[in-house]
Amino acid sequence: MKTDLSVKFSKLTLQNPVFVASGTCGYVDELSDFIDINALGGFITKSITPLPRPGNDTPRTVETDAGMLNAIGLANIGCERFIAEKLPLMQNFKTPFFVNIAGRTIEDYICVAERLADKNQIAGLELNISCPNVKAGGITFGTDPAAVSQITKAVRKAAGNKILIVKLTPNVTDISITARAAVENGADALSLVNTFTAMAVDIETRKPVLANRTGGLSGPAIKPIAIYMVNKVYNEVARPAAIPILGGGGICNAGDALEFIMAGASAVFVGTANFLCPTAATGIIAGIEKWLISHGISEISELIGCLK
Amino acid sequence: MNVPEVFLRKGLTKTFEKFMHRPQTTQQKGPYNATVESNILRSGKFGRLTLRLEGTAAQVFRVAKPGQFAQFDVSNLRIPPAELIPDELVNSAKRNVILRRPLSLAGISDIADAEAVLLDILYCIVGPGSLRLSTAEKGDRISLIGPLGRGFFVPAGKKLALLVAGGMGAPPLQHLAGYLREKHKNIEVLAFAGAKTITDLPYFDIDISKVSDKPDFSIREFSRYAVKSLPATDDGSAGFKGFVTECMRKWLDANKIKPSDAIIYACGPELMLKAAADLATDYGIDCQVSLEQNMACGTGLCQSCAVKCCCPNGEKIYKLCCKDGPVFDSREVVWE
Repeated sequence: MKTDLSVKFSKLTLQNPVFVASGTCGYVDELSDFIDINALGGFITKSITPLPRPGNDTPRTVETDAGMLNAIGLANIGCERFIAEKLPLMQNFKTPFFVNIAGRTIEDYICVAERLADKNQIAGLELNISCPNVKAGGITFGTDPAAVSQITKAVRKAAGNKILIVKLTPNVTDISITARAAVENGADALSLVNTFTAMAVDIETRKPVLANRTGGLSGPAIKPIAIYMVNKVYNEVARPAAIPILGGGGICNAGDALEFIMAGASAVFVGTANFLCPTAATGIIAGIEKWLISHGISEISELIGCLK
Repeated sequence: MNVPEVFLRKGLTKTFEKFMHRPQTTQQKGPYNATVESNILRSGKFGRLTLRLEGTAAQVFRVAKPGQFAQFDVSNLRIPPAELIPDELVNSAKRNVILRRPLSLAGISDIADAEAVLLDILYCIVGPGSLRLSTAEKGDRISLIGPLGRGFFVPAGKKLALLVAGGMGAPPLQHLAGYLREKHKNIEVLAFAGAKTITDLPYFDIDISKVSDKPDFSIREFSRYAVKSLPATDDGSAGFKGFVTECMRKWLDANKIKPSDAIIYACGPELMLKAAADLATDYGIDCQVSLEQNMACGTGLCQSCAVKCCCPNGEKIYKLCCKDGPVFDSREVVWE
């Protein structure tokens, strides 16, 4: 029996539903020491801001129970160096690349979107309005529905014909409200969830462990909450609007990925698991295929939102 | 921008340039499965783990450079019974460990008549990860990724290598001692081995009766490579009384050497590394330091292990301990 792993994602047909998540896979080819980038369903780069950012002081990460906190602070080489040095490398791969864009002001986002709108190496943009680790921008946009509307609309206009994914923060009372704001203002897809704002304390020094004091919690610890949120947004916003969800949060194996897909995600992203094992994403693709075969399912797309 | 003074010293910038362009390893880095050959504990605190690697893993680790490290998955190893858990780890012992643990290579040796190598790892029990490592038994399988990072670099023309090991900084310098003895026979090697007190010297084979205030063969981990060592303890319980860098300063004052002939290789706590860097500047000796930073991935993806560095043009940037290091030229590190 032939197994079809392909899924529709906005105007693309992906060879499989597994992405590597922004901030966990470098800019382009950093994972090449370990996996074939071409085997991935999609790739989302590290966040790009108009100007280079050095990032936060250390410690930037700490392991917690079944997860980790990070507060990297959007360290990146800036839009111009990214265009000059990293975009050309993408030509070596057939995987659809999405560039995660971030900034302090709406103008920052528009600036990066405009610079990338005509670049044929990339399939689209992921709007990062959910980074909890910078003093301005990021999550401050993502928690306010009016700001989500405004920024999505502005970037939609600047991004030409690129697919626009809006990445939502889980740090809200009702995630469907921000999801709806994004969809009504031109988002082609939603990705959720980003990390949960959290803190770890060193009881000997009586200080937060991270230099940034707070960080974003990721890893298996957040998986059940992320699945709940994906299912909620799928039922209340995405399915009615026929908008695909890129779902993730703590995915470590094929079973985790299938949970997200059944809950309503058209595709999934693997994040923290890339740190635990750089071959995680390709292992998950193989695991999904194996599961489909053993369950006599010929097309993975049948499983999207199949939750009974 | 102001060019930092340390870069202006005549002749030193050239070796820095060469250091910066030392090659990266491009071999396959796994993950590989290793089999535990032995795991010896000393004073309930230090462990020496010997792993057997076969196939591709054996090939790539056989040529690993001193100063490189590997990432070990300890999540499947056992937690010791409650009565064996040290008081300071009672709260964290049972935490669900997910990240791999970065550990320097302490030595690699061929197994005669087998396509396999033995990899030596030294560790200190400091948290839930190393606690699990301490329970590994012969025959257990451990997944590892590596060799990672850029190791120590040996510039041409050096005649004397001074190794400075503070506490658990010893492993990569043991590896380096063996490497220098094998590949750079003309370089004289001397190891300075420091710790707070005698029981904190992380050596499994030390002959205290031989320890004196002169370089001697009391530490087998170095003497097996015909490298003499000079122990130093803060409390004077073994060897020189005081910091290991002070011990080296005293030795440099007593032994007239040509600074350009020598190179210092240091690994240990940050304060010790800073002292070694200052000393290197004072005497005009090249110095490479192996740094430690919190890491999540160890492969350059997560950007956790940022090290503030100063470029020769004065620009301050963050480099990554895992990919650009863990070995840095002491002049490029911004010591805080």
